[in-house]
Amino acid sequence: MITKDSNMPEFNARKSFFELSRFLLFCGLVGFLFMPAGVSLADQPRMILANAVVCERISNFRPVNPAVVFSVSQGEVFCFSEFDPVYEKTAIFHNWYKKDKLIFSMRLVLSVPKWSCFSRVQMRDADKGPWRVEIRDQENNILKTLRFSMSD
Amino acid sequence: MTMEQLALLFFGWRWQDILDIVFNAYILFRLYVLFRGTNVLRVIMAVVAMWIIGRSANAMGLVITNWVMQGVITLATFIIIIVFRNEISGVVRTRSFGFFLWEIPRTQNNTPVRIITDAVVKLARSKIGALIVIPLKTGVDSIIASGTDINASLSREMLVNIFWPGSPLHDGAAVIQGAKITRAGTILPLSQNRHLASKYGTRHRAALGLTEQSDALVIVVSEERGRVSLVKDNRIHEVRDSDKIETLIKQYTGGHEPVKGMRRQTRELLVAAMVCLLCTTGLWLSFSRGMETLANYDVPIEFMNSDKKMNIIDASASKSRLLISGARPLINALTLDQISIKISLDGTAVGKNKLAITRQNIQLPPGIRLKNIEPDLVEVILDVMAEKRVPVQADFSGKLPDGLIMTSLRVIPETVKITGGGLILDTVTTVFTEKIPLEKLTTSGFVNVALVMSPATLQLDEKHKKVQIQYTISERKRNDDIES
Repeated sequence: MITKDSNMPEFNARKSFFELSRFLLFCGLVGFLFMPAGVSLADQPRMILANAVVCERISNFRPVNPAVVFSVSQGEVFCFSEFDPVYEKTAIFHNWYKKDKLIFSMRLVLSVPKWSCFSRVQMRDADKGPWRVEIRDQENNILKTLRFSMSD
Repeated sequence: MTMEQLALLFFGWRWQDILDIVFNAYILFRLYVLFRGTNVLRVIMAVVAMWIIGRSANAMGLVITNWVMQGVITLATFIIIIVFRNEISGVVRTRSFGFFLWEIPRTQNNTPVRIITDAVVKLARSKIGALIVIPLKTGVDSIIASGTDINASLSREMLVNIFWPGSPLHDGAAVIQGAKITRAGTILPLSQNRHLASKYGTRHRAALGLTEQSDALVIVVSEERGRVSLVKDNRIHEVRDSDKIETLIKQYTGGHEPVKGMRRQTRELLVAAMVCLLCTTGLWLSFSRGMETLANYDVPIEFMNSDKKMNIIDASASKSRLLISGARPLINALTLDQISIKISLDGTAVGKNKLAITRQNIQLPPGIRLKNIEPDLVEVILDVMAEKRVPVQADFSGKLPDGLIMTSLRVIPETVKITGGGLILDTVTTVFTEKIPLEKLTTSGFVNVALVMSPATLQLDEKHKKVQIQYTISERKRNDDIES
């Protein structure tokens, strides 16, 4: 019996230790479950491309006459891109290619909460042919490819 | 000439060279056999001698001598044909096909001397004048072209009949070749010898005239005295004893000892064959080893032992220029089939490979030497075949009608599968259509267009040779529309 009485506080201590361990394990599991969610937040894009077109002009911060064929006689062509929302300040690139050759690249900075930007190129007779503009993010991921032609 | 040069002279013989020499030596030998015993051969020998002189003069730098010799040789060729036309035509007419190619005639061995002797004795006794010509080695065709062709079998009666007074042919000479009387009534050239004894008449002078120009034996029967004379080598031998006529004829014609005569002729032919062979060999050597010529050949480069999975995408050179040297006839006879550049692709990898072109890669016929290779390095780009799916983009030409704008287009299918070298595919991001003219596009619609593969080595999936372009055309917004 003595032995039994003397063992009671030891038993209580063991029980509380077990409860504490179970709590910590639970917290760990909950934390582990939330951990991927935390990572995915970090991977979340800094902006969403809402609209992108190649157009003849920009008027009142809006693209005018978006098209896929442009006459070189018009003198210039614009690539307009609109981002909504923009989660944090970042930059994008407008890369202009004639056939498969990179002709011109422009870095454009985007600000929160939404942002529109454009780049443009002068059109000359020698530029006639198929073109494309690749809109890329800072990590060089292609967000969109716009294909158009320059003609007479 | 050093030993090295001498060794080079007999080095690098091909079986074709041996055949070349033997064949031409045989042609030369046949020409000798054909014209043996005629004056043509002597003239040909003279021409050959002049040619040798000409060549020697050329080698020694004697310009005028060389020039003169060349002129004389050219002239001599015409002279042979004109002067010896009768002899040449006689050879061509009287010889069989076999004679031209392989037969070797034995001269005068079959002449029936007994018949001739009998006829001569008969004519002498009857005091009938006669002139009988027995041509030997040199022949007489070029000297006597007149008379009547008979080609009759030789007989005592026939001979007596020819010279019988009053017969149409009695007033000339009869020519006996072998066992035939080939011609009668022929006129012989008269000798211009002023020291001829007065007892000899026109027949003797004619016989002497012929023997001055040939090695023929001429038998003369005097009409006045009934004497028989044998004329040979510009000398007249009167034969008083009729029993000696046969022996003398045999002696002069070489027919009295047939076996010995055959041996002599065989020896002579063997010597002639050897001379022909030596001449041809010398000629061949002078051509093939004498004149060194340089020549440039653009030879295609052949690549061997390529991995079946790998393709040659590009090479810095498809041909290499070889500077070669050799004898002019060998260089002239050279064809591109005989030269090749073969480079093994063993040990090569995908991408750029620099391969050296060495002498071991080049096959040349014997006797031709390699001097230079340009370029001696070829850069080969190898690639493995791969597939890739790429987007299609429309390519336009011309101009849309005023006031119209193409607002959108859609390509069906949007992407196509292309096959080609992996390295090339890495650089290809888009496939373009052929040019679509814009002038006729006034309303929205679609067109089917082919795709242009660039570079052309790329292959397109069969079912996507053409794509459909659906386009939307609308009117361009004016400035005032936008403002509103």
